[in-house]
Amino acid sequence: MIWDGFMIAGAIVCAACVLIGVVSAALRSYPTDPAVISLGAVEVFLLVHGVASGIRQAGPQPLVGAGWEFWGYLATALLLVLLAGWWAIGERSRWSNLVMAAAGFTVFVMLYRMQQVWIGQGWF
Amino acid sequence: MSESAPRDGRIAARVSDRKGAAAPEPGGRKNRGLGRVLVAVYGVFALSALARSVWQLFGVHQGEPIFPTAPVAILLSVLAAAVYIVATVALASRRRRSWNVALVAVLVELVGVVAVSVLSYAAPELFPKASVWSHFGQGYGYVPLVLPFVGLWWLLTHRPADAVVER
Repeated sequence: MIWDGFMIAGAIVCAACVLIGVVSAALRSYPTDPAVISLGAVEVFLLVHGVASGIRQAGPQPLVGAGWEFWGYLATALLLVLLAGWWAIGERSRWSNLVMAAAGFTVFVMLYRMQQVWIGQGWF
Repeated sequence: MSESAPRDGRIAARVSDRKGAAAPEPGGRKNRGLGRVLVAVYGVFALSALARSVWQLFGVHQGEPIFPTAPVAILLSVLAAAVYIVATVALASRRRRSWNVALVAVLVELVGVVAVSVLSYAAPELFPKASVWSHFGQGYGYVPLVLPFVGLWWLLTHRPADAVVER
């Protein structure tokens, strides 16, 4: 893994989402505002990442791996966050927070994989 | 400050005005509470296993189709994807019969992950490419090994309300 700007920013946003979700689940029996906002931040980050990657494609380190795979991951991650938010809030309980935390962790794993695709190394 | 009314997150309450106390569900409460986390995790595995097996079935790497390089491992990935999809849908469903479907799916998953893991150590030549269930789900943080046990425990402790049984 290369700790470039995208990876650092993504790791911070996703870690915050996971941490806030877990703490919220421990302390509160309803989906807390910070948990919802931190999940929203993950979605905003993914949108920014998408736009920036479109621009980065023309830059010094273009996409090496399969384009459809990178953009497929990004689209899936965007959809996954929305789906997780819907599923989490569908029943408002302590566990809503953990559903959102799980989404944050999943997005982090997907970001890691997206970076592998971008720099063109890792398993396929 | 009175604790009589349960507090709620402002955003969540505004987005969904359905209250938690809904109509009784014939399929039991297996998609409630912690069950929702379980469905979310199963859903993530269903999605990733499906994406992985479709890619391994039809994908091409450096001009060569991937499937012939590890047919057994890849077919087992397809099986895993199918089981995860059925388990996710059945766990989330409110129908009464979905409990039985979920139980069968989770049991197949349990047998599958143990059998495939043992096979991957006993006959590593069949697994030049890792499968979701090979090596006790090593590539997925061993979650595939733990998940069926959690699923089984959850299903057995959340049976559907059955009037005949409860009589």
